[in-house]
Amino acid sequence: MKPTLLFILLAAGLMQTALAQDEEDFPSLPSTLYRSGQRVLKAFAPISAQTRNSIVELNVNEDTVALGAVVDASGLVLTKASEIKSGKLTCWLASGKEVEAQLLASDDDDDVALVRVKARGLTPIQWATSPIVEGQWAITPGLADTPQAVGIISTLPHRIRPQRAVIGVVFRADAAAKPTVDWLQPGLGADEAGIKPGDIVLAVDGTTVTNFQQVREILREFRDGQMVQMRFQREEQEFEARIKMTTPKPGELGYYPDSDERENRLSGDVSLRSEGFEEAIEHDTVLEPWQCGGPLVNLDGQAIGLNIARASRVATYALPASLAREILARLKSKVENPPSR
Amino acid sequence: MSVLQLPRARTARWLLAVVLSASACLADAPPPAQIFARPAAPRPARVNRRDLPGVFSKPAPSSLADLRAIQERVAAVVSQVSPAVVAVELTNSEGIASGSGVVISSDGLVLTAGHVGDRAGRRVTFTFPDGRTATGKTIGVDEDSDTGLMRITAPGPWPYVNVGDLKDARLGDWALALGNPGGFDAKRSLVVRLGRIIRLMPGVVQTDCTIFPGDSGGPLFDMYGRVIGIHTAITSSTVENFHVSITEFFDTWNELIGPPERLPAYCGLSVVDDAEGCRLSKIEKNSPASKADLREGDQVLKVDGRLINASATFERWMAECGPGETLRLEIKRGNEVFSVPIKLRSQPHSTK
Repeated sequence: MKPTLLFILLAAGLMQTALAQDEEDFPSLPSTLYRSGQRVLKAFAPISAQTRNSIVELNVNEDTVALGAVVDASGLVLTKASEIKSGKLTCWLASGKEVEAQLLASDDDDDVALVRVKARGLTPIQWATSPIVEGQWAITPGLADTPQAVGIISTLPHRIRPQRAVIGVVFRADAAAKPTVDWLQPGLGADEAGIKPGDIVLAVDGTTVTNFQQVREILREFRDGQMVQMRFQREEQEFEARIKMTTPKPGELGYYPDSDERENRLSGDVSLRSEGFEEAIEHDTVLEPWQCGGPLVNLDGQAIGLNIARASRVATYALPASLAREILARLKSKVENPPSR
Repeated sequence: MSVLQLPRARTARWLLAVVLSASACLADAPPPAQIFARPAAPRPARVNRRDLPGVFSKPAPSSLADLRAIQERVAAVVSQVSPAVVAVELTNSEGIASGSGVVISSDGLVLTAGHVGDRAGRRVTFTFPDGRTATGKTIGVDEDSDTGLMRITAPGPWPYVNVGDLKDARLGDWALALGNPGGFDAKRSLVVRLGRIIRLMPGVVQTDCTIFPGDSGGPLFDMYGRVIGIHTAITSSTVENFHVSITEFFDTWNELIGPPERLPAYCGLSVVDDAEGCRLSKIEKNSPASKADLREGDQVLKVDGRLINASATFERWMAECGPGETLRLEIKRGNEVFSVPIKLRSQPHSTK
C-alpha cells in the first residue's frame, strides 16, 4: 500500500507557500492556548501535584533519557528499557534531589525495565482499574507543577506489530485482481527464491489469498529474518517457495524507506524502539522520546498505562495498566528468583 | 438534451435536474418521471452554543471540573460520529490511493479530500470502523479547493453524520480529528485526536489536531458532532495542520457532482409510477434495455440491491451513473422475479 503520502506532502508544500502571505492576515490562537499550551496545562496542575512524587527522571551519564513510574515505596521504578543504555544511572526526584539508580531486570518483548532508586518516601503510582474510553484525557505528568503534555486516548489497546519486513515484491496496482508480481527488488527474499514477474500468489503461510492486500496483511506479521511459506502459480504450474523476510535499511530500497524517511521528518523525533508491543493504548500526546517511560494518567491521577514509545507524528504508545502490572510481577520474580545455571 | 433547473422543497439549494434519455422526452412519459435528481448539497445542522457546557465558551479550561466536562463531551461525540467515518481505497491515475472519508447521508454520500478522490466513476472500497466494507465510486473532485465526493453504491442505510458550518466558529473552539493515519488497520480502532481551531481562513481551518498521511479526506468535527472540515495537509510542525473548510464543499458542490452534460448514461427505457412502485413504460429498440430483454410492464424492484418504490427513486440512482457502468436490476414480470445486468452507454444521438 502506498498511503497518499506524496499527495499530502505536495499539498502541504503548496498550502504553505500559498498561505504564507495570507496567514499573516488572519489572527491565530496564542500557542499558550493550544491543547498542550501552558494555559491549558495549568488546569491539570492538581494531577501533577498528586502524581509528581510517583515519577522520576532517569539520567544516563547526566543525560535525561526517560521518565519512570514509581511502583513500590521501597524505590522500585518501571521505565522504558531501550533508553537505559550502559553508563552511570542516576535519577531526579520531584524534591529536586538527584539519587543513584540501578537496573535490576528488563523485559525485551515489551521494552520495560525495572530499576531500583536509592530514595525513601516515594509514593507508588496508583493503577487505574476502570476501563479506558476513546476520547478521555491522557495526561503525561513529569516532575514539574504541570504535566509534560496532554492528549486524549486515540484508540483502545491493540497489538503493535513488529517493524515491517518485506519479501521484495511490488504487486500490480489492481486492488480487485489476483496478487500478481509486477517487479522484484534484486537481492531480497522473493528474488533469491526465484520468483518472477507475472507469478501469481495463491497462498501465504497456508492461507489462500485473492488480492494483494491480503498478501500484504499476512506478511505484516513476519519479522526481519523469518521465513514465510508461499504458494505461487506460473502459467499452468503451481509451486511452493520459502521466502526470507527482510527489514530494509533506510536508503536501501527506493520504494519503501523513501516514504519512511519522509515520515520521520514529519514526525519529529520518534523513539528508537517504537514497534512490536504485545498491547498498547495509542494516544495523541506529542512527547519527546525522553518523556516516555513514565505513567500515563487519567483525571483521577491514576495510571492507565506506561508510556512506552513516541511512535509517529500522530501516536504515542502506552502499555495498558494491566499489562504493565503483569510485566512488573514477571520482572520482580526474575529479580527475586534469578534463573539458576 | 434539455437541462432543467428545478427547486424542490427539501433540496432547493443546488438541485439540478436533467432529463435522462431521449426516450424520456416521448409524449407517453409523464413529467415527474423525466426528472433526474443529482445529489443535493447537504445543509448544515443548526446548533446553539448555549447547548454546550460552559467550558466551551472559555479561553481555556481552569479546573478539573472543566476538564471533565470536555472529556464527557468529547467521548460522547466520538461514540456518536465514529460509525460514519470510513477508510477509502481506490485505484486512481496515480496508482493505489488510500485515505479516509465520512458518510453524510443514509444513502451513502461520502465527503473526502480532492487528492484522495478522482474523476467520476472510479471504483472505491469503503471500510467502516467495525471492519464492514462496501463498494462505491467516485463522483468528482475540485482540485483547487481539495474537495472530493464519493458514493457508496451498495444498498444502505449507512451510518452518517450531520455537516456543520463555520459561521459561529471561533478561535480556540475544540475540535476532533478522526481518520485512518497510515491506512486502515483492522486491528486498531478508529484513531481519534483532539485539538483546537488555531486559525480560520477562507476555505481552510487550521487546528493543532495531529494528522498524518492516510488521514487525508477524514473528518474534523465540532463539539456538536458536525463535520466542519476535511483533512487536507500538514506542515513541518506537528501541531499546525490544515482541513478544507466544510463551506468549500457547499461552494464547489456543482464541480463535485460534475457538469450536467457529463450525465446521463443512456439506458433506453422510461419508467412510470404505478400502484406497486416503479414500472417500465417504454423500451427503445437497440438500447441497453432492449438488449437486456427488459419489457414494457416489467416492475423494477431493486437497482444494485437498493429498493425502488417509485420511479423517482429509480431515476435518482440512474442519474448518478455514467456510460460504461453496469447496473443490476431486480425485475418482477408476472409472478417471476429475476435479476438482470444492464450495461449503460452514452447517448445514441445528442439533442443538446
